[in-house]
Amino acid sequence: MSEPVVVAESLNVRFADQCVLDDVSFTVNRGEVFALLGGNGAGKSTTLKTFLGTVAPTSGSASVLGHSVTSDSDFIRSKVAYLPESVMLYGHLTGMENIEYFLSLADVKRSASDIEAALKRVALQADAWHKKLADYSKGMRQKTAIALALLRSAPVLFLDEPTSGLDPSAIDEFNQLVTALSEAGSTVFMVTHDVYGACQVAHRIGLLDQGKIVGVFERSGSELIDTEQVHTAFAKRNA
Amino acid sequence: MLFADFYREMRFLSKQRYIVLFLSAVFALSAFAVWSGLHETKLQQATIERLLEKDTVDRENVLAGHGDYGSAAYYSFHVTYSEPSSLAFAAMGQRDTFPWKHRIRMLALEGQIYETDAENPELSLFGRFDFAFIVSVLLPIFVILLLHDLRSGEKEAGRYDLLVATAKKQHKLWLSRALVITTGLALAMLVPLLVGAAIMQAPLAKTAAMVLITLAHLLFWVVVTVIAGRMMLARGQNSPRIASALLGVWLLATVIVPVVSDTLINQSITGPNGGEVVLTQREAVNGAWDQPYEVTWDEFLKTHPEWADYTDMASSFDWKWYYGFQQAGDQHAAELSKAYRDTIVRKDVAAGKASLMSPAMLTQRLMLSLASTDISASLAYEQDVRDFHASLRQFYYPLLFKGGEFELEQLADMPLYRQRLSN
Repeated sequence: MSEPVVVAESLNVRFADQCVLDDVSFTVNRGEVFALLGGNGAGKSTTLKTFLGTVAPTSGSASVLGHSVTSDSDFIRSKVAYLPESVMLYGHLTGMENIEYFLSLADVKRSASDIEAALKRVALQADAWHKKLADYSKGMRQKTAIALALLRSAPVLFLDEPTSGLDPSAIDEFNQLVTALSEAGSTVFMVTHDVYGACQVAHRIGLLDQGKIVGVFERSGSELIDTEQVHTAFAKRNA
Repeated sequence: MLFADFYREMRFLSKQRYIVLFLSAVFALSAFAVWSGLHETKLQQATIERLLEKDTVDRENVLAGHGDYGSAAYYSFHVTYSEPSSLAFAAMGQRDTFPWKHRIRMLALEGQIYETDAENPELSLFGRFDFAFIVSVLLPIFVILLLHDLRSGEKEAGRYDLLVATAKKQHKLWLSRALVITTGLALAMLVPLLVGAAIMQAPLAKTAAMVLITLAHLLFWVVVTVIAGRMMLARGQNSPRIASALLGVWLLATVIVPVVSDTLINQSITGPNGGEVVLTQREAVNGAWDQPYEVTWDEFLKTHPEWADYTDMASSFDWKWYYGFQQAGDQHAAELSKAYRDTIVRKDVAAGKASLMSPAMLTQRLMLSLASTDISASLAYEQDVRDFHASLRQFYYPLLFKGGEFELEQLADMPLYRQRLSN
């Protein structure tokens, strides 16, 4: 039986006179990878920020594990790991120190060997672990943030354009990781404009256009979602 | 739990070179201000000590060389002084504007009190770089520079959402970070002050009050900066705009309100100045030489009727007549002098009310009051000088009016100036 984890119901967000999200509803179940696909300005990041509690919904509701984002943000933060599009951790700290700092912020205790294991799992080369983050490439920073998300052992992952800027092999590694996490029971909610990447990992894809969900695509059995079909719908909306 | 957050942020911020360098610079400024205040205090103490040493020797030489009480009084100088308090090093205040030492004689007093030039007019115009200046004027800038981008800086660096999404309690992250910076600033400011207070053996209660005033002003600006930063960020403003707005508030509270209130006070509360008092007294004294003796005696006896039977003069010049018209000169300028002092007090009271609109002014006034370097302390010293001068007259008048042979031993009971304790 499917268990709803991330739920949006008639979600509306307005900034001044601009309607950014218009009656958005979707449900992401436990262990599912759900990708919200859309072009620039479609409202993807606003949807994500609403679940993170940094944007307040104008009307409607958003909840994670049955807890409202507006009234239970502390609870939600403790259950969610977030991977931003452009990972900007602290340049004056090393990769290890950054992870230690953010884990401490989340009040999560992990040993140095746990952190090293996570960094190995995301394939960040060992000689970089104790280098200042200012010297990291974007891919290395992304891996560090993924390691942080893994170490938090959060049941829900929010990913913002997770493969943006990664090289093809890093994207493959990342997709495998997301699949493994999903199989282990984690719920993944990602926003992306990468049609191919979304089709590789997502169980369902919601197509967002001008603040509305205009289409939903889902896997049929063990078959991946048809990239061509999604691409056509996406291109039509973003022509 | 808050301690754990505090400790985490302390470790984190201690690795930020900018913060460490900034706090080191604040410490250096505070240490310099305290050192400079201590140096000035020691200089003033040494000057007073030197003057006191010479004072006794000089007077003894003068008295030994004269054979009548009138000459003895005329040529004898008396050092009066206002010793710097043990906290004056932190807030020199009016000691840069009002005199803290006078060498006075038994002549008319008003001219002697108000004839003084400021020791360093340029310095008194711009104000001394002392601890009170750092706390009242510069401290808000330190707070604004360190805390205006507490949240917006993270937003602009692209970390805000990750921080907010990761922190178990979001408010604790910002609170503990602001608290660490505030504590760092407080320590950088206060450690030199406490060292200075220990060197000067300042009273514990007054030192604690000075610390509390500093902390109160610091906390005021921390709260203003953090709240304004948060509100402006919510309205989409970036760090430079937040900093600009806060610097505008600082300019208003620290520069514009004091300058405007000072101008308004000076325009609305008017009165005579010290120069007018000096001139009035001088004209009265100089004019007395050309007046019939009776005019002087009539004026003098208004305040000293007990000498009415002793005004006969054996020659055209008598020291008692001379000192009589010196007294009359002071009496002639007394109303003007009182009006001058009343004006100073009224302006000070008005400035006290205006300071409620400017935390910087209020902080400075409280510190000057604690350090006994405010207007009240200056007027109290002036009153000490007046009282001492009155006691000199009280001592000499019987010797001058009753006549009699000059005896050096009679002068052994001459009053000596003693400062009222202000520490």
